[in-house]
Amino acid sequence: MDVLVQLILNGIMLGSMYAIIAVGLTLIFGIVRVVNFAHGEFLMVGMYAVYLISKHMGVHPYVSALPAMVLLFAIGALVQRFIIQKLLNADEHIQIFATVGLSTALINGALMVFGADLFSVNAPEVRKTIALGPMNVLIGHIVIFSAALALVAGLHIFMQKTVLGSAIRATAQNRYAAQLMGVKVERIYIISFGLGAACVGLASALIMPLYPVSPTIGSYFVLTAFVVVVLGGMRSMYGAFFGALIIGVVDSLSGYYIAPDLKEVVYFAIFILILIFKPTGLFGFGRGTE
Amino acid sequence: MKVILGAALAAGVALSSQTALAQVKVGALYPFSGGLALLGDESFRGLELAVDERNAAGGLNGKKLEIVKGDAVDPNQAVGEARRLTSVEKVPVVFGSYSSSISLAATQVAELAGIPYFEMGAISDPITERGFKNVYRTNPTAKDFANKIVDAVTDAVAPALKTDAKALKIAIIHEDSLYGQTVTGFQVARMKEKGLNLVETLPYSAKSVDLTPVILRLKSAGVDVVLQTSYQNDTVLFFRQMKEQGLKLKAIIGAGGGYSLTDTMKAIGPENFEGALNVDFTQYKTNPAGAPGINEFVAKYNAKYGSAPRSGHSLANYMGAKVILDALAGAKDLSGASVRAAMMKIDIPSGKTATGWGVKLNDKGQNERGSPYIMQWQKGDLVTVFPKEAAVADMKTGGGAP
Amino acid sequence: MSPHRSPFNPLTLLLRLTEPRVYVSFLALSLLLVIPLLLDSPFAIHIFVTICVFGALSTAWNIVGGYAGQLSLGHTIFYGVGGYSAALLIQHFGLSPWLGMWAGAILSVGIAVGIGYPAFRLRGPFFSLATIAFLEVIRLLVIHFHGFTGGSAGLIVPLKIGWAWMIFQDKFNYLIIAFGLLVLSLFVSWAVRATRLGYYLIAVREREDAASAAGISTTRVKLIAVMISAALTSFVGTFHAMYLTFLEPGTMFSLSAAIEIAMFALIGGLGTVAGPLLGTVFVVPIAEAARGWLGASANGLHGLVYGTVLVLITLTLPGGLVGTFGRKVAALIDRLPGARKPEDREAPALRQITGTPGETVLEAKNLVMKFGGLTATDNVSISLKRGEILGIIGPNGAGKTTVFNQISGFLIPTAGTVSVRDGAGMVQPATPDDFARRGVGRTFQIVQPFGKLSVIENIMIGAFMHHHNVDDARESALRVAHLVGLHTLKDVEARNLPIGDLKRLEVARTLATEPAILLLDEVMAGQNQADTRKMVEIIRAIRGTGVTVVAIEHNMQAIMSLSDRIIVIDSGKVIAEGEPETVVRDRRVIEAYLGEDFVHAQGL
Repeated sequence: MDVLVQLILNGIMLGSMYAIIAVGLTLIFGIVRVVNFAHGEFLMVGMYAVYLISKHMGVHPYVSALPAMVLLFAIGALVQRFIIQKLLNADEHIQIFATVGLSTALINGALMVFGADLFSVNAPEVRKTIALGPMNVLIGHIVIFSAALALVAGLHIFMQKTVLGSAIRATAQNRYAAQLMGVKVERIYIISFGLGAACVGLASALIMPLYPVSPTIGSYFVLTAFVVVVLGGMRSMYGAFFGALIIGVVDSLSGYYIAPDLKEVVYFAIFILILIFKPTGLFGFGRGTE
Repeated sequence: MKVILGAALAAGVALSSQTALAQVKVGALYPFSGGLALLGDESFRGLELAVDERNAAGGLNGKKLEIVKGDAVDPNQAVGEARRLTSVEKVPVVFGSYSSSISLAATQVAELAGIPYFEMGAISDPITERGFKNVYRTNPTAKDFANKIVDAVTDAVAPALKTDAKALKIAIIHEDSLYGQTVTGFQVARMKEKGLNLVETLPYSAKSVDLTPVILRLKSAGVDVVLQTSYQNDTVLFFRQMKEQGLKLKAIIGAGGGYSLTDTMKAIGPENFEGALNVDFTQYKTNPAGAPGINEFVAKYNAKYGSAPRSGHSLANYMGAKVILDALAGAKDLSGASVRAAMMKIDIPSGKTATGWGVKLNDKGQNERGSPYIMQWQKGDLVTVFPKEAAVADMKTGGGAP
Repeated sequence: MSPHRSPFNPLTLLLRLTEPRVYVSFLALSLLLVIPLLLDSPFAIHIFVTICVFGALSTAWNIVGGYAGQLSLGHTIFYGVGGYSAALLIQHFGLSPWLGMWAGAILSVGIAVGIGYPAFRLRGPFFSLATIAFLEVIRLLVIHFHGFTGGSAGLIVPLKIGWAWMIFQDKFNYLIIAFGLLVLSLFVSWAVRATRLGYYLIAVREREDAASAAGISTTRVKLIAVMISAALTSFVGTFHAMYLTFLEPGTMFSLSAAIEIAMFALIGGLGTVAGPLLGTVFVVPIAEAARGWLGASANGLHGLVYGTVLVLITLTLPGGLVGTFGRKVAALIDRLPGARKPEDREAPALRQITGTPGETVLEAKNLVMKFGGLTATDNVSISLKRGEILGIIGPNGAGKTTVFNQISGFLIPTAGTVSVRDGAGMVQPATPDDFARRGVGRTFQIVQPFGKLSVIENIMIGAFMHHHNVDDARESALRVAHLVGLHTLKDVEARNLPIGDLKRLEVARTLATEPAILLLDEVMAGQNQADTRKMVEIIRAIRGTGVTVVAIEHNMQAIMSLSDRIIVIDSGKVIAEGEPETVVRDRRVIEAYLGEDFVHAQGL
């Protein structure tokens, strides 16, 4: 019984890590309607940035969160402006190829600049555990969980209560009508893509103390992030958050009860089933795969 | 006029006989790019140092050795590069490769072309089990690793813990690529032979971000000893999460890979890695009495590359290349048959090379006197504890979590 | 009467050899054999084998990714299955890879159907994500069941030399087989493109709904495409496994290779026959050369170049090499001797519409359609008589198109039935393409042309329903084009047409399916007087051939002059029915259009 509780708790913590990565992906897909295959590489870039800032300025990785977010916002905005923007009216497959190409270029660029070695930052307090009854939880994980929750809530308030947020929601629902209302749609897309990337920037600062970075680190997380986004309903941030927690728990439980090398099989199978039978997501928040 | 012409002619003849002091090209096929680049390059450095040494000593029967590099990250590229080296560059022999999958693909090309292929680092057993006549390997194989590790449990760990090996609950955890699966397969077989109690075999993806389920399974099974085959990332993750989950083991034995790298120790923290055992190619805290030449090698490496060796792979390649080049010097020529004759003649007892391995090839081309050593992390250093001739410290007990 | 000649008739094929496009292609292809023969180096042979292998893979992929527009990023599933099946059969049964090849292909086809059937419901990036997920699952399972597959340690193919084993001392033999597979892929790809299947795939790719309306069973067509593609990919996988003699899950089920073969097709020209091979020929030598020069000195440079090139191509040359340069090159080639003009053929006979005038051809009984809490159709019944023109009018939002959708299969009514005459009895078709095949043709209110196809090709999509042969379909389409007055524009790409012509194209395509019942949804909307008059004449002419017409219209003049009978729908209900004169004066109708106040004011 103890083990089960520990596994679920572990799963929730793991899930909050996926959540914080998937929120950005949901934002980008929900508004700009582009599946960003390079999302994992945004995480990788963020983690290298956090590593460099922490190492050369001697600051705690959490402090690097702000510059990482700014950097990634800029990158996201640039990608939108110079690549995605031109392809908004193109066939979908062109968009897919563009982000796939971007992903390949970023991975290999990192390989050229940093080499294949793994780099870590030293932040031992982050890896201390707190005892919750008989269970142990990592402080770093608690931070991520809280950050993910705060991020989702914060974005929700932003979307509902601010003018910019309303403009973004309007554009997401009908970009032509929004344009007619005077919304500068191109600017909204740039901001949204940047915002989605900035979320990943936050994620990278929180994840860096827990995992070493290498050029392919993005690929460890990105496929799971896609599973989470689909599970959560593609356009809903709360859906993504809960979807991530579910995936984390599934990951943990199937690793223990089935086999650790088959847990991806389990959640890819779930992914495929959801895509086919319930494309609006587990909670039906989304509007499907159209 | 005639005098000038005559002098020119004489000079020309003299010069051409200088160039008749020909060179002999040798191929070097390693993964210089891609994910394995670091250790591929490290392995190559060993070859390079051996070649430098021999050239300094006059070359191969008076001919200077020139290395031609080939870079491959997957089997298709391995075939391509092997073809290029043998048919375009026309190297008479090829050295390599660190990566088993590259080796398996490239050796097939070499065999069909009748070109000798010298493997000095890859451990997959089938490389020398296909009945090929032109493939030779100086390093020990995955089976040797596995047997050594399991034997370490019965011969070293159990006595140190003052228990019967058969009473220990042992688990194997491993990453699921070629390296992990191959070593594990042989470990399972060896454990069966020796009647040991294997309670769990847990493969996991090398790209895992969470090993908690693995650790909880080990905890639930009440495991005493863990045998792990892993790369750097997963070793670090495992040790960190072991501490977080409070898993205490009586002993843990790695099979090289991440366990041999200083960076791993730094990431985990020397106090957390203290006592971890490791079975791998000879590393640098080894008694030179059992591995003559090892310190000289380190000095030469430092001089050429400006830093200490990054792993034991360079040493293994250096030792292999040295032995092979010495044998080739005694060969009639570099044809397949002559090389084979020369290679089969090699007979070096253990403890006489820089790695401490002896060399005697069986009829499949595999060196039967190579043996991985047992090492242990003590106070942030990876010291050799077995065999005695190579040991610099005694084995401590209670390896694993502090 | 010219005989119906299939494009695969050997005599026809031989004659085509004299056409410049054909012999230039053959010459260019043969270079893949001639150059390595001249260079006489095993390394050159390796490069060309790699080109042929990836060219074949990319061409096979294109059948699904290019023609059908379903971007599979997991195609190496079939490559890996082909390789592993053959290798395992050699290992356990000593079976020759020539036989193992077929076993692999059959297994691949099965897997293709298993994956395609559910996954084809997904569009665009979601389909791609699903294929990636399938690939990963299979790769992980192959690693997990290592007892059977050899797992990560891999499978080694024993070095048995000879044609029976596909392993050779003389490397040129490898190239012969690889070249053969490439030619096979190209031939199959061309064959698909040149026949009805190719047109259908493109129609499905462009607009699934319009394709259904033209009688195409979209899932069936996509499944056929993926089965063909899987088999070809599997053959190549078997050969390549014998070539490498070493298989491991990471290489055989490689995600990056799956992306590469899609990339070659994109760079060369998605959806064209030659594109994938051109893309491969363009990229592979550059990549090999780059690795040769830069080698170790720049880890990852060649991957960086790949990725950047991909992004640049998507931004600058979305049509790929063929899309951008194809037309000019083709024009140049056509100037060479041997080009022939297509011969004139007689159009195949028109299907006669049999049946008694006045009998019921379509019966909709008590249709009810609810969307959530909204009742869009409230107990509507229509009985359509053969040979009549029935007009349906009503204010905006009344639910007219909803009724159309129910009587053409695009919506399943919440209650009520729709039956269509088929010979002596009535049947109840189930799907839109089923309705279409039973003779119910419909146009869409918002036109749905196949933008990238020409006018004549658009119409051909409809004609294919009854004429499987491409030439017959073309002739039949030409006839329809004359009928609606579009023959002068026949080679113009549909996306370049103005709205009036697009409306007529919509009617033409539907007409080409030779329907017994034609449903026209506001075909006169947004047109000028002249166009409207033309359309009225066309509709009369259509009825003259025996077709029954139902038209939704807002243009009162037109509908009054055309219709025999009018039905008025308001808020989902039928509020009036009868001859035009009567209906138009009906109080309820005026109230519905103009409001109660008007009615009161007029003292009605």
